[in-house]
Amino acid sequence: MAKKHFLYIVLIINFLSCRENDNTVENILIKGSDTEVNVALALAEHYMEKEPLVSIAVTGGGSGTGIAALLSGKTNIANASRPMNAEEYHLATSRSIHPKPIIFGLDALAIVTHASNPLDSLSLADLGRIFRGEITTWAELGGPEKPVSLYGRQSNSGTFLYFRDRVLAADYAASLKQMNGTAQIVEAIATDPAGIGYVGIGYLSEQERKLTTSIKVLKISSLSNSRAFSPLIYTNISSGKYPIIRPLYQYINGQPHGRLLDFLLFTIGEEGQGIVRKSGYYPISESQYAENLKLLDSEMAIK
Amino acid sequence: MRNKVEVKNLNLYFGEKHALKNISLGIPEHSVVALIGPSGCGKSTLLRSMNRMHDLNSTVRIRGEILLDGHNILHGNTNPVKLRRRIGMVFQKPNPFPKSIYENVAYGLEINGVTEKDKIREMVEQSIRGSSLWDEVKDDLHKPALDLSGGQQQRLCVARAIAVEPEVILMDEPCSALDPISTAKIEALILRLKERFTIVIVTHNMQQAQRVADYTAFMYLGEVIEAGRTADIFGQPKQDLTRNYVSGHFG
Amino acid sequence: MKINVYLADRLASILFQVAGWLSVAILFGIFALLLFNGVKAFAHVQPSEFFLGTIWNPAAYDRPQYGIISLIFSTLLITSGAMLIAVPLGIGTAAYLAEMAPASVYRFLKPAIELFAGIPSVAVGFIGITVVAPAIARIFGLNNGLNALNGSLLLAIMALPTIITVSEDAIRAVPTTFREASFALGASPWVTLRRVTLPAALSGILAAVMLGFGRALGETMTVLMATGNALAFPNGFFDPVRTMTAAIAIELGETARDTTHYYALFAVGAVLFVISLVVNVLSERLARRFRYKNE
Ligand SMILES: Nc1ncnc2c1ncn2[C@@H]1O[C@H](COP(=O)(O)OP(=O)(O)OP(=O)(O)O)[C@@H](O)[C@H]1O
Ligand SMILES: [Mg+2]
Repeated sequence: MAKKHFLYIVLIINFLSCRENDNTVENILIKGSDTEVNVALALAEHYMEKEPLVSIAVTGGGSGTGIAALLSGKTNIANASRPMNAEEYHLATSRSIHPKPIIFGLDALAIVTHASNPLDSLSLADLGRIFRGEITTWAELGGPEKPVSLYGRQSNSGTFLYFRDRVLAADYAASLKQMNGTAQIVEAIATDPAGIGYVGIGYLSEQERKLTTSIKVLKISSLSNSRAFSPLIYTNISSGKYPIIRPLYQYINGQPHGRLLDFLLFTIGEEGQGIVRKSGYYPISESQYAENLKLLDSEMAIK
Repeated sequence: MRNKVEVKNLNLYFGEKHALKNISLGIPEHSVVALIGPSGCGKSTLLRSMNRMHDLNSTVRIRGEILLDGHNILHGNTNPVKLRRRIGMVFQKPNPFPKSIYENVAYGLEINGVTEKDKIREMVEQSIRGSSLWDEVKDDLHKPALDLSGGQQQRLCVARAIAVEPEVILMDEPCSALDPISTAKIEALILRLKERFTIVIVTHNMQQAQRVADYTAFMYLGEVIEAGRTADIFGQPKQDLTRNYVSGHFG
Repeated sequence: MKINVYLADRLASILFQVAGWLSVAILFGIFALLLFNGVKAFAHVQPSEFFLGTIWNPAAYDRPQYGIISLIFSTLLITSGAMLIAVPLGIGTAAYLAEMAPASVYRFLKPAIELFAGIPSVAVGFIGITVVAPAIARIFGLNNGLNALNGSLLLAIMALPTIITVSEDAIRAVPTTFREASFALGASPWVTLRRVTLPAALSGILAAVMLGFGRALGETMTVLMATGNALAFPNGFFDPVRTMTAAIAIELGETARDTTHYYALFAVGAVLFVISLVVNVLSERLARRFRYKNE
């Protein structure tokens, strides 16, 4: 039974890749990270303006959703705000799928609290303690006598996993409230004087002005005795001083050709990076650009 | 004999429809009064105005008086809930509650403030005996009332009505859904009950009226055409309409 | 002519039979699918861990945990809370609409309630986060109101239109003769409602409650948004909860096919199916018992 299904899937994938081979792909499907939806839409719109014959469909659903779609041949590009994990790679191999990560932007995670919170900055270590549930009241950090109320994303979000792996390196406290989206984290913290949570900087820069009265963005220091930096200042990100930065990925299956390749080059090129910047994220470094080219260019080399 | 109930110049409208026209009628105490007349002439409407059942229908307008022991029950300050405890009713189709036989009879007692279980049990038995049903149901008191036959159900409804000891009982064609044997039982019951209650009964059955009623009123198109001793109404009616009706020439 | 009538009769009866069996088959098929996939989870998860474990954390940092108890408890906590609110309120409103409301009030109230049923659950969830949760926090002196109580309140709101509409129909279906008999004995409208009309409508009202319960049990989006979704075992209505539906809705999309996590979610689905089946069968029994009593 299962083997038969598997065979069908392979056949379908082969069929899809055959179509790509003859350079006539005019439809590109992008699916995945909710964090990346807006920037991906902006990129797609600009590209379609330049190439009216290409139609690009962008849907969200979370990084895991996008990767799952890539692994079952249901999307051309899987947007992910986290790298693929071992289990996903294993599954890819068993289905003869060859995922390639193209990094097209950088995202900083901002740590937000209620505006009334007297704290202005936190060390990365304390942040981890808070979200692991080792620090349970604000008093332990010199704040008011209130239990810490944790907000995060749901487990299908790349942000959830990235933050866990980068900052906690362990499980979240079980009391973490897993919210359905970034907007809801901000909504909830705006009315919770004991709340703390993380949100992508892209979301904040859009909403910043409206929110400054109800929430506060904390400065974060890499070490407990070093200086803390705000993610709201661009140079803190580009210089790498702000410690919670993650790459935004576009995963593809094997060697891209034709329009798909052209689109990917567009996203990491000058124009695409301008759009990334405008969407509230940060452009990739030169070494990341070079790495991307290596992954994309083998076809060009053959040509 | 004094009148227990006295209807004076009663007019009743269903919206625009003038259903009762200037009706005046006396109901003597401890007697059985039959209301007869062709279908749609207003018998039920008249009966239901005596316990203010029309209150539930907002389209009804009533003018005139209905006196119970000399007090106008149509007057605004008569409490219809209290009034209905004094004037009971048995309907055309047996309508016991979907409860047990016992609960059907106990219901009226409970809602009227009888709380002692023993008292209730005693009064339930008394009422069911009073409606000649006891021997048939005494072992099944906690079975569903709806399992009884139609005739038994109707006698249960009589038991339910007399349990709260009203002064007047209104019966709207109580036998129309019953077989002859059940009918005979109800008729016998009516004759016994009139010693304790005043009874108004609507019937289409001329023989029945003659068997149970002391007085009879003949109605036609919303009016009382003629009323008097039953023997007179059937023996020597004064009006042609009455004569035609009681002799079976129309209706 | 005679044959035609006979044929049409036969055809109709066959059609209804097919339709009936088809729905049974579909239902059975769904359950079989859930079970077939769900059972595979036990290749890697001990049944004792699944059925007795209190922590559901498949996306754990190092050791995934698949205990379903907190999901079941959370689900039952908020649905029973919702029923505690919605049942008395719903039946009361239905009785008012069916028995007492003046025509002018009815004309306004009835469509308003039906409109309620049309509010998408995302909207209810959003109201839950922005309005109800802060209100709960203020009233009970909590830091935030993203908890089981919030879920219960919102689910109650969502179950109410069903409960009201179906109960109202049940109350209206009670023959007037019962009411008249009660009034004729000197019962007030209130006593008549409580002692005669509502008991006579009981089987219909039970059905209404069950439909409402099903609505609350199966609701995903609202609870997913407004109850906090924490993994910790809830200690009461003031703690956040993660329900079975929320777990499935959140996790199924991200989960790669044919993984333990994927199968475990099917197992959760099968348990949810069994719970709603048990509730339905129980209520059907209950309703039938009252129906026998009534008829
Ligand atoms: N609720 C109502 N609304 C409007 N008209 C009504 C209503 N009830 C009765 N009527 C009308 O009032 C008239 C008298 O009706 P009623 O039921 O009193 O007749 P009846 O003498 O009892 O007839 P029957 O012997 O058939 O029972 C009829 O014309 C009937 O159509
Ligand atoms: Mg009549």
